[in-house]
Amino acid sequence: MAIVIEPRDERTQPARIIAGYPQTPLRTPAQPLIRRAPTLSELTGPADFSGRIGLLGGDVAGRGAKQAIGQLIHLKVRVLDEDGAPVGGAMVEVWHANAAGRYAHPNDDDHAPLDTNFHGAARVLTDAAGLVELRTVKPGAYPVPTKDGWWRPPHIHFSVFGRVWLSRLVTQVYFPGEPLNALDRILNAVPDPSARERLIARLVPPTADLYDALVYEYQIVLRGRNATPGQS
Amino acid sequence: MKFVPTSEATLGPFFPPRYVDERAHDLTTFEGRPAKGEAIEISGRVVQEDGAPLDNLVVEIWQADARGIYRHPADPRHAEADPDFLGWGRAATDKDGRYRFRTVRPGAPEGRAPHINFMVMYSGLMRILKTTLFFADDPVLSLVPRERQDLLRAKGKSPYEFNICLRGENETPFFDD
Repeated sequence: MAIVIEPRDERTQPARIIAGYPQTPLRTPAQPLIRRAPTLSELTGPADFSGRIGLLGGDVAGRGAKQAIGQLIHLKVRVLDEDGAPVGGAMVEVWHANAAGRYAHPNDDDHAPLDTNFHGAARVLTDAAGLVELRTVKPGAYPVPTKDGWWRPPHIHFSVFGRVWLSRLVTQVYFPGEPLNALDRILNAVPDPSARERLIARLVPPTADLYDALVYEYQIVLRGRNATPGQS
Repeated sequence: MKFVPTSEATLGPFFPPRYVDERAHDLTTFEGRPAKGEAIEISGRVVQEDGAPLDNLVVEIWQADARGIYRHPADPRHAEADPDFLGWGRAATDKDGRYRFRTVRPGAPEGRAPHINFMVMYSGLMRILKTTLFFADDPVLSLVPRERQDLLRAKGKSPYEFNICLRGENETPFFDD
């Protein structure tokens, strides 16, 4: 299937340099980016990871005595392309802080406690309907080391591989009703309010089989659409 | 209804080390079977504007196999792609800002010279940065201002040094698509 990639609406993508996020002006290129028309090289990509890379499964919360501390959540994430067609077999990598707002990562030296039952990482492939399901605990908010009052709201990091190289996406998903959402320098770097709204997962009524978790739905749209509509 | 691509965000400083798989930076073998072609090594330092090296930054590459074929259904020749070559790799920088890949020298894909696509993801980068290492003159390289083209050329022979400067003097040219 040939994929077409078109320029995005800039208003739906974050500013590259953010006031109060001191790393951004040191790491954002000063020279203009060079516009190129995609060739086969960028319109192919690592689309088939099955059997080629270690998966971790979608259960981050653990069970029984090994269950992580925190509010259990069940996240249903659907990965689509710009036609709205499901992207099956897409590799999705997820990581987030524990319920106290601490990452199980050597670079996180925040004061918040670690949870020995929480490693905070999932790596899964989407099914044919583009769906991945994650069982985890709700991440806590945490203060950013800028130490000027910026707290990150609860969020989950996503790294997604689509059908082609230019579909590659790194993003963060937020939770509804969090007062910190309106103050977050990263979420609010996206100018378009609708695009920001789409970064917030939706709480849905629990079903009997998921009675013990808060259920959230979320939709990820990867760049690219089918060059020949009606075929796949 | 139009489906709008999801907004990007920074990778942040806490990308799990376990996602940088032990062998993800070595594309020359797959499950013990060697990929076809000449093994080459590429490494470089990644720095920010003040020259400080960047630790735990993620670099990913995507390339054609030794015959210039992409292991992807959009390549008309993909059925002939080397089954022992994934074409994709990932490395993280060390405290010195250095990444390292072992791979095979890419062949020339249709209409292009041999090259390797790079992506850089990191804390403070609100979007993925994309660049390319070129082994010969190439139509995409010709889009880069002439005085900056040398920054993207593979010089000499393996091991190749490809430093990536995110901003400032000798800033690496990055592409937008």
